Amino acid sequence: MKKVGLLILLLLMLVACGGGDAADEPAAAQPAPVAEATAVPEEAAPAEEAVEVSAEVDVADIEAVRIAIVMPSTVTDLAWSQALYDALVRIQTEAGGEDMVEIAYTENMFNVTDAAAAIRDYAADGFNLVIAHGTQYGTSLFEIAPDFPETSFAWGTAVDTGSEMGLENIFAYEARAEEGGYVNGYLASLLSESGILGVVGPVEAGDAKLYIDGFVAGAIAANPDVKVNVSYTGSFGDTALAAEAANTHIAAGADVLTGSAQQVVGAIGAAKEKGVIWMGTQADQSPISEETVVASQLYNWDGVFSDIIKKHQAGIYGGTAYALTLANGGLVMSFSDALDADAVAAAMAEGDAIAAGDIDVNAVVAGEQTAVPAAEEAEMVYPELEPVRIALVIPSTTTDLAWSQSIYDSLAALQDHYGADNFEIAFSENMFNVTDAAAAIRDYADDGFNLIIAHGAQYGTSLFEIAPDFPETSFAWGTSTNFGADEGLTNVFSYDPRLEQGGYVSGVLAAYLTESGVIGLVGPVDAGDAKLQVDGFVAGVHAVDPDINVNISFTGSFGDTALAAEAANTHLAAGADVLTGSAQQVVGAIGVAKDAGVPWLGVQADQSSLAPDSVVATVFYNWIPTLLEMITSNQSGVYGGKSIQMTLANGGQQMIYADSLPAEAVEAAMAAEAGIIDGSIEIVAEPRN
Amino acid sequence: MNDQLTLMTIVLGIIHSGIRLATPYLYAAIGETFSQRSGVLNLGVEGVMLMGSFFGFYAVYQTGNPWLGLLAALVVGLLMGLIMGVVSITLKAEQGISGIGMYMFGLGLSSLLFKTMVGSVEGVEGFSELRFCVTDTLCLADVPILGDIFFNHSIVTYGAFALVPLAWWILNKTTWGLKVRAAGQNPEAVDSLGVNVDAVRYVSVMVGSALAGVAGASLSISLLGIFQENMTNGMGFTAVALVYFGSWRPYGVLVGALLFSGVNALQLWVQVLKLNIPSDVAVMLPYLLTIVALALPFRRSMQPAALTKPFERGEN
Repeated sequence: MKKVGLLILLLLMLVACGGGDAADEPAAAQPAPVAEATAVPEEAAPAEEAVEVSAEVDVADIEAVRIAIVMPSTVTDLAWSQALYDALVRIQTEAGGEDMVEIAYTENMFNVTDAAAAIRDYAADGFNLVIAHGTQYGTSLFEIAPDFPETSFAWGTAVDTGSEMGLENIFAYEARAEEGGYVNGYLASLLSESGILGVVGPVEAGDAKLYIDGFVAGAIAANPDVKVNVSYTGSFGDTALAAEAANTHIAAGADVLTGSAQQVVGAIGAAKEKGVIWMGTQADQSPISEETVVASQLYNWDGVFSDIIKKHQAGIYGGTAYALTLANGGLVMSFSDALDADAVAAAMAEGDAIAAGDIDVNAVVAGEQTAVPAAEEAEMVYPELEPVRIALVIPSTTTDLAWSQSIYDSLAALQDHYGADNFEIAFSENMFNVTDAAAAIRDYADDGFNLIIAHGAQYGTSLFEIAPDFPETSFAWGTSTNFGADEGLTNVFSYDPRLEQGGYVSGVLAAYLTESGVIGLVGPVDAGDAKLQVDGFVAGVHAVDPDINVNISFTGSFGDTALAAEAANTHLAAGADVLTGSAQQVVGAIGVAKDAGVPWLGVQADQSSLAPDSVVATVFYNWIPTLLEMITSNQSGVYGGKSIQMTLANGGQQMIYADSLPAEAVEAAMAAEAGIIDGSIEIVAEPRN
Repeated sequence: MNDQLTLMTIVLGIIHSGIRLATPYLYAAIGETFSQRSGVLNLGVEGVMLMGSFFGFYAVYQTGNPWLGLLAALVVGLLMGLIMGVVSITLKAEQGISGIGMYMFGLGLSSLLFKTMVGSVEGVEGFSELRFCVTDTLCLADVPILGDIFFNHSIVTYGAFALVPLAWWILNKTTWGLKVRAAGQNPEAVDSLGVNVDAVRYVSVMVGSALAGVAGASLSISLLGIFQENMTNGMGFTAVALVYFGSWRPYGVLVGALLFSGVNALQLWVQVLKLNIPSDVAVMLPYLLTIVALALPFRRSMQPAALTKPFERGEN
């Protein structure tokens, strides 16, 4: 019997690592936090004091010099950091190799404190010139520089050499990226057939902001009707998000894309895949895709740093602010031979006009600011948050392509913005057993999490029992409108995606897409947001054509993929030529739609990765506004007592349309969206069975 | 409504769906039949199916070769069976609990591996339907009525149905089958004849588990062409119930699997046809039927006498 006891112990361990996997690895898939550059006030000041230098390497008669670079990304980032490193390597070659010019560098210094330590180490180690290659390093640099008066420091994007603070050993440098941005934008407008351009920016600051402002101004100068969609990823290095941003732009009709920071390698890949033109900046990105990277603004730091080295060796340790411009050759435009020669000639004429001073891009930007609503629209406003810890209890998994993934993805996007240190996420998956879920909820509360989200209507009873024991913890659950007011609870939020709205819009779309007059819907159970979807969908279809037959089947399960696939087959056999459905089970049904070549209308999460040609529209749950409302409320001392709806009007639901849809159908669907938002369409559920 | 649908379309639809849906149940339940006939109740089928499902998917995802996927699922199933064997046969653990342990282990590990090795739900080209084409345009699959029922399935589905008579033959007509049945009925007698009961049980559990792995792969690389965490969604447990339903006989299991899948396919049509039955009732039908069948009194007597009883040599 001893053996049996041992065995049960072993099994318990197995169970523990089997069932509890998710809770122990919160957000393992999250990318490392990326510190963001903060805009420095000096940024806005015009670079009057900027010194013009030649663009050529000019180091023929220098003495041996030791140079150190602290950079936010890597020397192979095909962007900001690589442009500088390549210039220094050219200087090194010209000057006679490593004996003459020693180059040391530290990469990936996204943490400013680490960067400060590296800067100080290099200075203490006797390097002659220490370059802090990012706006974010300025404060640290200004603290360190006074301790090493005979070491030269340089930083950028900046124009402030610290002379007002009495510092004499700092150089500042900037690239007037708006100039090349203007030329790229002008060319993009001429090349675009759809009249829609997409921009993938990192954060709205520094070099990226200059470039994008210039790009928008140039695009509008060439074609006042052009639409420039700008999206910021909130990160410099999130390649995947940049790729998604590019895909989004392409889906929105953009046929020329641009963007900046090292993240864009992802976007360039996405552009290449779709055969969409890309315009680069900073470094030469054409190695990724010769055919699609057709125009580039290249940063040439050769002249600037040749000059800095010579000044240093002449005993002038700082005090100069440099600018790369088209006029001084620090910015070089490079165009692919494959481009339309007339368009290139027109764009180069603009570039010459900028270089000659006939066009002042900053003035154009200032004057045109209000004419660019698209750029404003795309910005997401993130409130300041104190560090927050959020726990999520979900009935399926974070990769379910549906209900659970939709909220997890929004949490992950917020974490990406605020950083993992300030925004902790823990989650427990597969909590189909309500008792287990209750235990997990209580554990998270005990553990001091600020907001605990029980992501399913089934968890309500448990939540109402647990909440009173933790009055300063916020709890949230949905789909529900009940935040426990009757029970006297003050720390429960409820949330409620009004999926009948998105359902209605996709119903309208479906009515336009069907030729057979039969549409199939694969639901899980007739409750919650699945029920709302059905109600809205049927109403939307019948608003267009009351004779269309909507066949509805519920599988009775959220996760029975095989049965959902059979339900889809059944609908096809019954003549359906458009399919939709909800819950994580639908991945099975989507496969059937894909094989049969019929359109699928998705809800909750973006399912197009599974069948790009079949998933033609999605009612996408964007949880960010809801989550931010709960978090800010919690941090202001209001722990609950609200029911939050997710609607088309407040952006909690967003429609995604594929390019392949007929224009007429999309117009009708968008009209339905507008009607729901302004209240002119009222959705009335039809009685069923 | 739906008056354009002929009765024939509906009946064919139900049969076609039912046959496809029965595939994973057949592999899992026939496998479990071997295991239980030898005296070992393996409740971990669900976990083994998930592991087979993931590894089958992953092999195809990496190599594009569905046969390698099937092989991977088979091997993973064998290994899971070996673990179950060590726990329940050598260490003589309580079978029900160790099975639940296997389930949790399979569920957790397949999810973890999926998250780290794949990350998001992706599709693969697995086994497609054999259409039995004589020439480019002439396919048996297009023959009215018979085509859909008999000639429009993947090789994996045919395998599942071929397994039934094979399992019957092995269990009833081979020496090894006799040993399996005896080990589950009267292990002491088997032992007294010099046959190693534990070895027979090990092989049975491992074969059963390998088939459960294939059952999982039949979902991920044949029926659906995707992997999703926890995608078997209780099928493994239904398979165990089907073994009871089928009175531990392969043909009984076949009837149970077809009935269960057929009623499932039927309930989908009930909803599509908008028959005035609440969808909840339709969804309940297959389970209701299973419960009724399980409750039939005469079935108990057919249960292997030594099921769930670890064999302790020389105890009596």
